[in-house]
Amino acid sequence: MSTTGMEALTVGQELPAWELPITPTLVVSTAIATRDFQDVHHDRDIAQAAGSKDIFMNILTSTALCQRYVEDTLGHDLELQGISIRLGAPAYPYDTLRFTGLVESIEDGVATLKVTGAVSLGAHVIGTVRVTAR
Amino acid sequence: MSAESAAAPTGELVAPDVHAAVMAEAERIVALGEGAERYARDEINQPTINNWLEAMGVSNPRWSEGEAPPSMAQVWTMYGLGGKPPADDPLHGMMRALTDLGFTAVLGTNCEQTYLRTLRVGERLRVTTALDSVVGPKATGMGVGYFVTSRNTWYVDHAEGPEVVATMLFRVLKFVPRRRDEEAS
Repeated sequence: MSTTGMEALTVGQELPAWELPITPTLVVSTAIATRDFQDVHHDRDIAQAAGSKDIFMNILTSTALCQRYVEDTLGHDLELQGISIRLGAPAYPYDTLRFTGLVESIEDGVATLKVTGAVSLGAHVIGTVRVTAR
Repeated sequence: MSAESAAAPTGELVAPDVHAAVMAEAERIVALGEGAERYARDEINQPTINNWLEAMGVSNPRWSEGEAPPSMAQVWTMYGLGGKPPADDPLHGMMRALTDLGFTAVLGTNCEQTYLRTLRVGERLRVTTALDSVVGPKATGMGVGYFVTSRNTWYVDHAEGPEVVATMLFRVLKFVPRRRDEEAS
């Protein structure tokens, strides 16, 4: 993905979309890499017994993927000040997570980006990512 | 629960004595402030970062040169496989109280992380947990429940004192799940 760069950002600008196929391996490997061993993130039988369709992505990964989307889109010359997310539909394997973004404001050197990661059921994550130039 | 409250008027989401019990426990635990302090099992280290980079597909070379990805802050103080929060953990204390009052289901709704600076390999984090607020009752699509917000604060300790390096507000809905026959309506 080509990067946009912090200094070129303007309010209202849309960031290029990014699609990530959700596989069982993605859900399991990211849960374990974030040291989250809750069974609903790696054991389908238990997840389904609890009423879920399948295993589903954990919250630490939803946050991390917001970081990845912003880094991949804006380049590496930035400092992340914070990531706030609101959670929606679960991210199940065999779905696709489609990230889009919008520059909401630029004030005192802090760019506030609205980042949405959507799955087929609707928004999985609605994030607000605050970045400054490095 | 009294017979009176069981026959709560239509539109009242939670019986008054149940609501009073929730709010009394919330007030008690909020007043305790930061608790359940613990240290990360490991120092911030490159192998753990590398596992995270591989799983997330993150390619920023900065995270291979001595700095840790900001959104990993919480990872360092996770309980690990089989780990359990201590009995005095404010969040779990509130969750247990709500479960005992019938709000058995839980759903994460918000997570707000603030990074005060980039962490470095070799640093060891300490974290505390506080109960920030309990708001409700609310009728949601999932059922009637309370929004429970906890606040984590991560520190790096120095000879001259502790330094706050990251914070997180984490909100869950603790609710009475709607029965299937209610879902159609």
